[in-house]
Amino acid sequence: MIRSIAKVSALGLLAISILGAGGFNEQAEKDRKALIEYMQKKFSDPLKNRASQFPYSTDKELKENIKGGLKFEDFRLGSYAFNKSGKEQYDEIAEMPPYEDAVDEGEELYNKKFKNGKSFKECFPKPDIAGDYPMYDAKKGVVTLSSAINDCLKANGEKPWNMKKGKMAKLEAYFAYQSKEAGKKFNIKIDSKEAQEAYERGKKEYYSQRGYLKLSCASCHVQGAGKRVRAEYMSPLLGQVTHFPVYRLKWEDLGTLERRMVGCNKDQGENPHKANSKWMKELLYFMAYMSNGMPVDGPDIRK
Amino acid sequence: MKIVRDSIIAVSILTMGAFGQDANALMQEAAKLDVKKVCDVKSNGLEKVLEVAKKYNPVAVEFGVEFKRLGITNSVYIKGLEGAIKAKKPEVTLEYKSKGKKKSKTFKTDYATWRACHFAVRALQQKVEAQKTWRLAVPGDGFKY
Ligand code: HEC
Repeated sequence: MIRSIAKVSALGLLAISILGAGGFNEQAEKDRKALIEYMQKKFSDPLKNRASQFPYSTDKELKENIKGGLKFEDFRLGSYAFNKSGKEQYDEIAEMPPYEDAVDEGEELYNKKFKNGKSFKECFPKPDIAGDYPMYDAKKGVVTLSSAINDCLKANGEKPWNMKKGKMAKLEAYFAYQSKEAGKKFNIKIDSKEAQEAYERGKKEYYSQRGYLKLSCASCHVQGAGKRVRAEYMSPLLGQVTHFPVYRLKWEDLGTLERRMVGCNKDQGENPHKANSKWMKELLYFMAYMSNGMPVDGPDIRK
Repeated sequence: MKIVRDSIIAVSILTMGAFGQDANALMQEAAKLDVKKVCDVKSNGLEKVLEVAKKYNPVAVEFGVEFKRLGITNSVYIKGLEGAIKAKKPEVTLEYKSKGKKKSKTFKTDYATWRACHFAVRALQQKVEAQKTWRLAVPGDGFKY
């Protein structure tokens, strides 16, 4: 009798501890699944969903240029998942990817010794970590891959890097490439109450209308995904962070996720938040969680 | 007791920031304004409308929601207008940086004053509105499709 009570309560404790460990991401999991469901439905049959989802597109455009039947992993391609003509141009450029040298230079940076004789290897023993960031740290709050790299530099008496381009983008290109080669997937963790709160704040910012144009990120990348603004099709939130850094034709340069985000934040008509701000990091934490389970797919090319 | 009192003081000093008034209270105050009325240059005069912008824009900066249009932040509008209105100039030239290069643009003073006021107040009103509306866009929550 006593033994069976002990057994039952041990089981109970086990159940509680599992719940406890898994509980902090419960809402985030719901959000992620609901987002997948929405995007798959939206792009199941664009022509049929025209009235509710693509009111400004012509039948011809939907029939000829927007691919339907998209499944979860397709979304890692951003707008090229559905934009047929864009994908053709993309494939042409991808034959001679303009980021290859950057990956090599990133590898050199990874191995290069700091003045104190150490290197990035001490901070990041394995380079296939692009899908593990951002993560939540009890002391620092949300740590992005870029902020972790700068923390490593500072801890070794080196100057931090510009978070938007240059060496930062190159080292991240190497990390992304290594992660992709190793078959890594996005695996963002929310394992404390504080982490959960940071996620919720990031989510709220993503969905809040801002700037003099009164647009939220979601206006363009959730409700607006698949619509056009000027000549560009807007990518879905799902899969939006998986392929960075990117070589952008507009930049003629490689840039980090933060660089792209600052640009979009500016386009909303707001004085953009800094790449290293708490706002940016928490927003990225939310966005990356939404891509959980998708393969790391960087570096990549964008218009 | 003293610790409690001191920490209350510390916290209120923190939230008061540079405003001498709670930033949150100022935001709630802005939320109730009729922006067309308070920013109407003809009926209020340039000085008064600029005062409205000067009162609320720093709160928008504090909350990270300051507006920026074509490379010019609202702070830059306000700074330029202070001089132009004092000197009674019909036009104001705003200097700003874009991609590291110095640039400038010229506006009619009354138009720019209206805009500075409008931007300052709307940034805060929008932040308050978003508290109620953001969930309406979340799939699986308030967004129905
Ligand atoms: C006015 C519409 C608009 C708004 C608002 C907007 N974006 Fe964008 N965004 C675009 C367009 C257009 C592109 C380029 C096409 C695309 O989506 O790949 C883009 C691209 C991106 C990309 C790169 C996608 C990729 O596949 O490489 C990211 C990430 C992004 N936006 C994030 C954001 C975030 C975060 C916000 C809110 C702070 C935001 N955007 C607000 C229009 C917008």
